[in-house]
Amino acid sequence: MASVLQTIVEKKHYLFVDEELTWQEAIRRSAESLVADGSVEPDYYKQIVSCIEEYGPYVVFDHMVAMPHSQLDAKEVHKTGIGFMVSKKVVDFGEDEDGEKKEAKLFFTIAACNPEEHLENIGQLMGIFANEPLLDALMEAETPEDILEAEKKFPVTEEF
Amino acid sequence: MADLNGKKILACCANGAGSSLMMEKAIDKVFKKYGVKPAELRHCPVSEGKTAARNYDIVFCAKTFIKTFEDAQKSGTLVIPLKNVMSAPEIEKALKENGYL
Repeated sequence: MASVLQTIVEKKHYLFVDEELTWQEAIRRSAESLVADGSVEPDYYKQIVSCIEEYGPYVVFDHMVAMPHSQLDAKEVHKTGIGFMVSKKVVDFGEDEDGEKKEAKLFFTIAACNPEEHLENIGQLMGIFANEPLLDALMEAETPEDILEAEKKFPVTEEF
Repeated sequence: MADLNGKKILACCANGAGSSLMMEKAIDKVFKKYGVKPAELRHCPVSEGKTAARNYDIVFCAKTFIKTFEDAQKSGTLVIPLKNVMSAPEIEKALKENGYL
């Protein structure tokens, strides 16, 4: 079975950006590759943004990783998938409830309508998020080949 | 030491699709390590969790949602806020601090 990173490359669900982005722009751009093949509607990102405005940057995890997402089966979602984006510049999400800075360079934007596929994606992402050398290599990625190379070099070992 | 076997456990996040699912998987990992067999382990959005929480023994949530569960806490549910929703070590530590495992 293809890994989520292989699927991201195969479906062209990736974007590499070098500009300064606000977190709202970053979330919109991270979903662009999902919009391109009709996986999600162009305004899907808006509900992710309003959710973060309401609850804070809880989709930003350790090690510069963000996993923007909405609920399962949102009406703007047509296919289950992950929009991957590398931002060369750090995207600032402000502070969390403890006053800790939240920032990200890696975006894994989730679209979910098939529960089984989504469960598999989340499990695999947890393995990626626990693999810091892989995350470091992905932050340096500039081409789809770099994504595959990074995974080959630092394979995911931890299972969830 | 309190027994986790047969307990009802709930993991909540805003949408019930991303971080709560990660929490459920991380909790399950800890339970497997210790051979714990809960009566129930599931995840849901906070909108549903707010009222459902009182029917559970333990509710896990991201720190930002702690206020949602004040009522459940008053009615005796143990609410455990997590800083890192996918950290099995943090879950393990929190359970130990509350007299489990």
